[in-house]
Amino acid sequence: MTSEYMVQLKNITKKFGKDTAVNELNLDVKVGEFLTLLGPSGCGKTTTLRMIAGFEKPTEGEVWIDEKQVAKIEPYKREVNTVFQSYSLFPHMNVFENIAFGLKMKKTGKDEVEERVRNALKLVQLEDYVNRKPKQLSGGQQQRIAIARAIVNNPKVLLLDEPLGALDLKLRKQMQLELKHLQQSLGITFIYVTHDQEEALTMSDRIVVMNEGKIEQVGLPHEIYEKPVSKFVADFIGETNIFECVVSEFKGDYAYLDIKGVTVVTPKNDTLQLDESVYMSIRPEKAKVTLTKTQDTLLSGTFKEKIYVGSITKIIIELPNGREMVVNEVEDDLIGIKSGNEVYVSWQPEDSVVFKG
Amino acid sequence: MIKNIRLAYSMLSPSLLWLLLFLVVPIVMVTVISFTTSEGYGGIIYEFSTHAYETAFLSSMYLKVIWNSIVWAFSATVICLLLAYPFAYFIAHAGKWKNLLILLVMIPFWTNLLVRLYAWIILLNGEGVINHFLQNIGLISEPLTLMYTPYAVILGMVYGFLPFMILPIYSSIEQLDKTYLEAAEDLGANPVKTFFTVTIPLTLPGILAGFIITFVPAVSVFVVTDLLTGSKLVMVGNVIRDAFLIEMNWQLGSALSILLMILVLLSVFIFMKFTSSKDKKFLI
Repeated sequence: MTSEYMVQLKNITKKFGKDTAVNELNLDVKVGEFLTLLGPSGCGKTTTLRMIAGFEKPTEGEVWIDEKQVAKIEPYKREVNTVFQSYSLFPHMNVFENIAFGLKMKKTGKDEVEERVRNALKLVQLEDYVNRKPKQLSGGQQQRIAIARAIVNNPKVLLLDEPLGALDLKLRKQMQLELKHLQQSLGITFIYVTHDQEEALTMSDRIVVMNEGKIEQVGLPHEIYEKPVSKFVADFIGETNIFECVVSEFKGDYAYLDIKGVTVVTPKNDTLQLDESVYMSIRPEKAKVTLTKTQDTLLSGTFKEKIYVGSITKIIIELPNGREMVVNEVEDDLIGIKSGNEVYVSWQPEDSVVFKG
Repeated sequence: MIKNIRLAYSMLSPSLLWLLLFLVVPIVMVTVISFTTSEGYGGIIYEFSTHAYETAFLSSMYLKVIWNSIVWAFSATVICLLLAYPFAYFIAHAGKWKNLLILLVMIPFWTNLLVRLYAWIILLNGEGVINHFLQNIGLISEPLTLMYTPYAVILGMVYGFLPFMILPIYSSIEQLDKTYLEAAEDLGANPVKTFFTVTIPLTLPGILAGFIITFVPAVSVFVVTDLLTGSKLVMVGNVIRDAFLIEMNWQLGSALSILLMILVLLSVFIFMKFTSSKDKKFLI
């Protein structure tokens, strides 16, 4: 019976001198999954990836790949391949030789090498470039060759270290979808490292949010976005309004929170306690601004400015306690509004998220 | 634009002037003298003559000496390469000891080669340190002839020119992007395969540079043969010096110099052609 998990990290810690890059991390990666390690630079995500590849040895803990402890397996014997941030295509070899490198190391027959390289090139849509040197390719093409060079070996796990970081926005968006489709059609387990939260949300089956060498949250993209479990996750993923508040009252299914003189409401949950200090987050697109008070109104504030960003308009509101709040509106209904006018903000209590740290 | 070009040339002018005075003018002079007529005792008659070249080509001695010089220098260069590469590789990976080790490689430059070769006489001599030691431990009964052989010449050249090989190779290994090595390892190449398929090809520019700057001075050196063979063996450098200073035959000396220069350029060219045939663009 084959295991449900392709990669398992068991309580791994990595120290560089006195600095702890990864701290007692546990993670199970499912077979055929597209998993993203997401976090700011220095959060330990690349170090984690390098420990799976074997370039770094964990100070403590174990890495398991396909049910085998790999501590004693050198990187060149591991059935994983990496797409490097800088691509690292061999400059002295042409496209064909680059892609064939891994197969030749395994002493694959000449005809098979030829065929598999062609297929890999077909997958990345660069069939006509076999004789080019990496230098003669654009950044996007080099990226595709780097992917082809890795997947041609049929690895059990493909590790990708910010592979799209050097591409421009449009190409990056296109490559995100291509990579996702590639992963679905090949069925290879992908572990993807990025600091770009939008990229993570677009591509991943599951996202691991990391901070200071630890996992903050593991979940489906919408869980990470809609139900962040910590201030760090809420803040890091997307834009949000975070309020420091105190639980002031329970009424029915709702809890009332006091944000320094302003009261808002959120669904009650079992962990909340009276007079406890917590954070509440509400996404800008979940809130609504009106010029008149309605029965849903939760807050009132003064209109400060609006920023047109194309698909939406961001409305900045100053609350009575001096804090600012951002609300996104798809249609700009606030024609003629002037700075200083009073406006009303509402949202569904269910759309707000409360967490402790 | 024109202003910038002028500025560029004026910035270059000191070095251009230097090259003109100390490289171009001497070569032209030597070339001209090689085609003049000898008056005997160092005099030059400015009449066109190919006599010096005829002497050089017709006497098998000169061609033999030039051939020997190339063979010995080439052997020394190859030995230097085999010694220097592992050493340079070691230094490049020595972390905090790097600078100290490079300093140790450089220190011999602070002393003239002549002086350093005297040390080898003390070592290699019939009554020298090595023979003395071997006799004392009973390995040999009669002293070995270590000096006066081509091996001593090659040894002297290896000793003298090794740093010329180490430094460019070190710098190319040092500058090698380590992610290429990780990429190779990631793709299933063990350390030995990685070394031969990635490290060596990517440090080839350093190897080439080291080869040229070792071979060129080695082929024309004359102090090594003077000191380690007591002038019993000669290289083309000795012959040229003697032509100028002892025979007072400037035409022959010049002609041999020109021949040597052509042969060196030719062998460097052949060597580069041979090692970079596959990847000209990458190397140049």
